[in-house]
Amino acid sequence: MRIFLEKHLNLLDYALSSLWRRKGKNLSVFFVFTLVIFLLASFLFLTRSLLVSAQITLRQTPEITVQHMVAGRQESIPLSYMGKIEDIFGVHQVSPRVWGYKYNEVTGANITVMGLSRSPLLGEEVLAEGRFGAQGEQGWAVIGQGVLADLDLGSRRSFSFFRPDLTLKPFSVRGIFAPQSNILTYDLVITGIDDGRDLFGLDPQLATDLLVEVVNPLEIATIARKISQVLPDTRVITRPQILKTYQAVFSWRSGFAAICLISALAAFIIMAWDKASGMAPEERREISILKILGWQTPDVLMVRFWESLALALVAFVSGTILAYIHIGYFQAGLFRSVMMGWSVLRPGFDLVPVVSGTDLFLLFSLSILPYLAATIIPAWRSASVATDSALRG
Amino acid sequence: MFVNPWSLALCLLSGITLFLILVACKTAVKVLRHWDPAADSQRQIELESEIWLSSTLVQYGLAFQIISLLLYVLAADHFSGMLSGAMCATGALLANDYGLPLLIVKIAGMFLYGLWIVLHQLDISSEKYPLVRLKYILLLLIAPLLLADTALLILYLQGLNPDVITSCCAVIFGEGDKGAVQNLLGRMGSQTTLGFYYSWLALLFVAGFLAWRRQEIILYLLYGTAMALFFVLALHTLIAQLSSYIYAMPFHNCPFCMLKREYGYIGFFIYLPLFATAFCGVMPMLIHLCRARGILAPTVARLQKKLVAVSLFALALYAVLSSYPYLLYLFRGGEG
Amino acid sequence: MLIELTDIVKIYNQGEVNEVRALEGVQLSVAQGTMVCLKGASGSGKSTLLSIIGCIYPPTSGRAVIAGTQLARLPDRFLTIHRRQTIGFIFQHFNILPRLSVLENIILPLMPLGFSPARRRAMAEPLLERYGIHHRRNFPAGEISGGELQRVAIARALINDPPIIIADEPTAHLDTHLSREFLATMRELKGEGKTIIIASHDPLVTEDAGLDRRYGVQDGRVTQDVC
Repeated sequence: MRIFLEKHLNLLDYALSSLWRRKGKNLSVFFVFTLVIFLLASFLFLTRSLLVSAQITLRQTPEITVQHMVAGRQESIPLSYMGKIEDIFGVHQVSPRVWGYKYNEVTGANITVMGLSRSPLLGEEVLAEGRFGAQGEQGWAVIGQGVLADLDLGSRRSFSFFRPDLTLKPFSVRGIFAPQSNILTYDLVITGIDDGRDLFGLDPQLATDLLVEVVNPLEIATIARKISQVLPDTRVITRPQILKTYQAVFSWRSGFAAICLISALAAFIIMAWDKASGMAPEERREISILKILGWQTPDVLMVRFWESLALALVAFVSGTILAYIHIGYFQAGLFRSVMMGWSVLRPGFDLVPVVSGTDLFLLFSLSILPYLAATIIPAWRSASVATDSALRG
Repeated sequence: MFVNPWSLALCLLSGITLFLILVACKTAVKVLRHWDPAADSQRQIELESEIWLSSTLVQYGLAFQIISLLLYVLAADHFSGMLSGAMCATGALLANDYGLPLLIVKIAGMFLYGLWIVLHQLDISSEKYPLVRLKYILLLLIAPLLLADTALLILYLQGLNPDVITSCCAVIFGEGDKGAVQNLLGRMGSQTTLGFYYSWLALLFVAGFLAWRRQEIILYLLYGTAMALFFVLALHTLIAQLSSYIYAMPFHNCPFCMLKREYGYIGFFIYLPLFATAFCGVMPMLIHLCRARGILAPTVARLQKKLVAVSLFALALYAVLSSYPYLLYLFRGGEG
Repeated sequence: MLIELTDIVKIYNQGEVNEVRALEGVQLSVAQGTMVCLKGASGSGKSTLLSIIGCIYPPTSGRAVIAGTQLARLPDRFLTIHRRQTIGFIFQHFNILPRLSVLENIILPLMPLGFSPARRRAMAEPLLERYGIHHRRNFPAGEISGGELQRVAIARALINDPPIIIADEPTAHLDTHLSREFLATMRELKGEGKTIIIASHDPLVTEDAGLDRRYGVQDGRVTQDVC
């Protein structure tokens, strides 16, 4: 066992020095490989950080949302529905919510205004400053970073929106959401439910939807089913469903991007194969000498393996670090549009790179393994140089 | 659901492994047709050199298979986040009919590649290469398994779509209410099953020790067979019983969640020794056949003894690591 | 006899159009501790004969027993194992890898054997001293003089302490002075019990007083004591 280890250490030693000696030849492979890994890693990290910020924010969202459906479209829901839901065993609390959009004609931005009956529904930790309005308080608002910029508030802490009858409804800002939650709060204004009704001109007996909290999170699905049985004219959305949808969409996007990158990988693999196949006469001679001196074909193959692995690992580490910098410091400048260009989400939030072990493992399988596989056959060809060829010349 | 980095990685690995093994099979066909140790022809020289290619390819195949098994389980865990109704990897694997067979094929593949590498090492330890035909016939048998692997993977991914409701891991072993987890072993209560499991383990230790001491075929046979059965029994006990002690949740019986960080990656420390002990325990019985080729007898005998020793060591490791959460539970009096 | 060749036939590309019969029934025996010279023009089969004695490939037919091992139909893997225990090679161009250091070149045969770096250095140390290249040990081999290169080649051939040394046209690229020095070293090694096979047609070598036997190689056959 010790001999086995020593032998492999020796071969590794030889491989590293051989790699160093041939750095000119390997440099191009290294750069391209680093680039490919950088692109792949950027995508994986980006997906992961989008998902994590969605998860963090969704953790605070209602477990079940009930919407009233009329003729296949969502309509306001009567508050009388609340009682029927509260009667279901396992329901902790039901609260109404009013929300809608306000279009800013000056900047062209769409702002989401949400009136909540109970605050804080979101924890205070999502706020960069201030607090949510207290029970019974009138005219308060908590706004997202995007709204702050969009309304050009600067240091002012009050603004107004038009009611449907074009009178002005004033709000005073009590708090501002932290940039970390931008993915969901960027264009959001939170206010009290009465202010919400006031703004949208909604009847006091109506709400946009109902938020249901359950006692045991494991029963979300069961309770959701019961609600839809009791109130057949409603649509019931659960938090896990939303999360799964987010994940599926993000994942689909990164998969699509990965397909594009796989072609880059394929191009690289062909290049690596080609590089590994082209053998300089000097290299040929070296292998022949080694074989005469008592190296077995598998020993030479092992050296080649260590060379490839060392090169791949260095490229892997470099590419990963570059990707981390790309996401963290440059906010994924290259791919932002691909990953985030959809209607609901606005590309106005800070990305915090999240590196997980499983992502690194996935990246490893997508990059290093194909490269290693591509070098086997060329390595074997070079290792099977006839032993006596050095003797002849 | 192919458009996903995990699916892509799995397909890529499968494709690569298939390619590697098919190249190795080309050598296998050539060797089976033309191998002639007495000839000094160019062809024979090339064949001898191609042996190294094929053995390297199979070694890569084994490594890739291990990685793709792990990747598969992690991917399933990832998929479960997108499939409504699937709470963890088990749910994702059960989302259609191909998930579980694929897992089994992958595990079987690992054992076959391992067997091939052992045969190869035995073969090249003798100047006559006495197993050369045997090992290349085996290689040709591996190829269909790999094709099945790729086919199942494609079918599995194709059948996955984020709308299908799948069962969650709490009910992997049966339907009905969550209170009564059904057992594959029939009506035995949990204590009886565990008793049976640990008696079997003890028997295995005795058989293994005897095999190691006496090195007789009958003992290898006993140990190997008992080990093969134990492997299945152990997986079952692990899923149905020991896992809930790991998770400290009575109805969480997932064999995969223990591989995750939430549980300190303990799964790796349980599965690794389990696979090692099973492989090293069954191998002596299988390679005993090679003893018939006179020249190999001493090498095989040495290897058998070594394998049994490694197997026993891994078994002990497995026994300790897999029982640890259960023992912890017993000593803390059920408080977990 | 340390080397015993009986009825050796070597055919390249057997059964194909470009078949070449390189050796035809060669008989040769070399006792331990002797120094033997093979003389022959290129294409005479001399290199093939050296390769068989050097355990690089087996003969097509005939008995070749080198240091107690019968080579016939031995797979390459086992030839290699036998070769690295038995044979030390000194090549025509020395075949030193120019970008490795002197020490790295000398320990090349030890690399696949599982010796620790310390052990390898310990094995190389006496040879570096003996051949006066100790001060050069960390120099790239491409940057040292021809004489030193020759001594590096000798040290490398001796690192495994093989019973047989094979030198293929060792003086072809050396001046008279260095050639003499080389032959003196070979005589010294012979005195230590090594068996030395030199293939050469350099008169300086073929006339050397230390030779016990001289053989001619012609058209794939060996003729006795031609010189």
